[in-house]
Amino acid sequence: MGGFLLRRVGQIIPTLLFVSILIFGLQQLMPGDPALILAGEERGDPQVLAQIRAELNLDRPIHEQYVLWLGNVLQGDLGFSWRIREPVGKVIIEKLPVTVQLGLMAFAIACLIGIPAGIVSAVRKDRPADWIANGIALAGISTPNFWLGIMMILLFSVKLGWLPPSGYVPLAEDWRQSLATTIMPAFVLGTGIAAVLMRHTRSAMVQAMAQDYVRTARAKGLAERVIVAKHALRNALVPVVTLGALELGTLLSGAVLTEQVFTIPGFGKLIVDAVFNRDYPVVQGVVLVVAVIYVGLNLAADVLYVLINPRLRHA
Amino acid sequence: MTAPLLEVRDLAVTFATDDGAVRAVDGVSFALAAGRRLAIVGESGCGKSVAALAIMRLLAPNARAEGSVRLEGEEVLAASESRMRQIRGGRIAMIFQEPMTSLNPAFTVGDQIVEAIREHGEVSAAEARDQAIAWLARVRIPVPERRFGEYPHRLSGGMRQRVMIAMAMACRPSVLIADEPTTALDVTIQAQILSLMRELSEETGTAIVLITHDLGVVAELAHDVLVMYAGRVAEQAPVGALFRTPQHPYTVGLMGAVPRLDEQVERLATIEGAVPSPRAWPPGCRFAPRCPFVVERCRTEAPPLAPVGEGHVAACWQAPLDRFAAAA
Repeated sequence: MGGFLLRRVGQIIPTLLFVSILIFGLQQLMPGDPALILAGEERGDPQVLAQIRAELNLDRPIHEQYVLWLGNVLQGDLGFSWRIREPVGKVIIEKLPVTVQLGLMAFAIACLIGIPAGIVSAVRKDRPADWIANGIALAGISTPNFWLGIMMILLFSVKLGWLPPSGYVPLAEDWRQSLATTIMPAFVLGTGIAAVLMRHTRSAMVQAMAQDYVRTARAKGLAERVIVAKHALRNALVPVVTLGALELGTLLSGAVLTEQVFTIPGFGKLIVDAVFNRDYPVVQGVVLVVAVIYVGLNLAADVLYVLINPRLRHA
Repeated sequence: MTAPLLEVRDLAVTFATDDGAVRAVDGVSFALAAGRRLAIVGESGCGKSVAALAIMRLLAPNARAEGSVRLEGEEVLAASESRMRQIRGGRIAMIFQEPMTSLNPAFTVGDQIVEAIREHGEVSAAEARDQAIAWLARVRIPVPERRFGEYPHRLSGGMRQRVMIAMAMACRPSVLIADEPTTALDVTIQAQILSLMRELSEETGTAIVLITHDLGVVAELAHDVLVMYAGRVAEQAPVGALFRTPQHPYTVGLMGAVPRLDEQVERLATIEGAVPSPRAWPPGCRFAPRCPFVVERCRTEAPPLAPVGEGHVAACWQAPLDRFAAAA
């Protein structure tokens, strides 16, 4: 297991390096000159522009800019936001807990609904419970998040007055208020993923329940409950874990529309603002952090696989 | 004479399919005494595995079993699901053809044996572990303490089948149903597994129902033989009588299909044609379309099982077949 982990972490380094080149390179392809934006009123003065370019190293060749940027990143310095006039690291650390809280809540809702529904649907295949679960899943996949969000606000905030319609309260400040402000967006994000998880869990479980080892378990006299929850589920979880890791990665990279509907100050809003304002350091920083989260989650999924499926331990 | 351990009478299995009801097993009867070993023989699709799964009540939901299966007088086909769970594994254990896929890849072999032991007895975890290791040793798995913690993919096919046998025998069942237990294994391993099964049945008194298409395996292990064809019993006899004087043309054909080392043959003998589909059983005797001895009556009227010798019955209008042998 130790060797396996070391190997996987070793494989991550080139991946991240490649991602950093990609992030930096794509940035250069974006139209618009940041110096012009930063100069503001004085954009007509070539001296000011030259000075800004020199300060930000924009006058150096691209590969030098990249090396400078990467060197700083490796030392934990993600640069300085041109627009907000704050270190990018600080901006990200302010927004990250919001997105992480929302993402984890959404993911928990997705797992709590999607996996049990998939199991029930597989065990009751081609019977009413299966049809109902599939129907709800189809609705979950096809409903746009922003629409569901607006409908929920109309019902729970405007009509019933149970929940605040928008805004965000940090967890550390008041956890009740924090949950109240995030439960609706988390539900909106979670149900869409629940539907996908349900479909995958169902197909993996249907496959697992048809395996010879399930027949062996029945021949041993085990209860159907044990056969489903232990023998079949353990084997069916592998594809579900992969999918779960990817979905969690997507959640943690910020949900632009949902954050917009509920005015939640998370990653989604941060990156959209940064792109529109050509705030390169923020875009680079956020995308890099998201990439690291993705890669880290994939690593976690790989480790989970091995724990679930012992055949991979010697591969 | 005491009541038999396992008594199957007029067992019939019908599958509900999109094309209507299909009867895969029709009127199968046999009795098995403690410690005896019965082989059920036939080609693929003759219904032998379906009959075995029907006894275990492990058929797919679209199948219906009728008739009677009595285990020490108790009607298995009428037992509640919770009673069935005690019977499965506890009274009647089963092993399967594919040792590679019959064990769960996600759990160690030890866990899977312990699970069976604890399902059927009030045993502490430590005690179950000791019993499981003892059973691994008894099925001749080397270094059983270490194998206990291994996952199935680390073991060879023969080892896995030994694990399956250990798991099945660990709850001391009165009947072990073995569905083609050696078909997926190498010939040398086959012989070892068969002698292991014979030994265990002699030591523990567990009766065995052996399902196979291989007459070599039958000769190795069985006391009695039930030959099935197209869902019905074609012939039933003690193993010696069956090999000496087969009385059903299908049995004769099966024996002709066994290659022998002491005879020079150009081609292996085969039975012409294939087993008909259960969707379209022929009327009359189901073997008639492939039978070399067929007469007009065979095509219209199904022959009943009739005695042809001591403990020997055959379903053939032409039985006994000895006269053909004399003529040939």
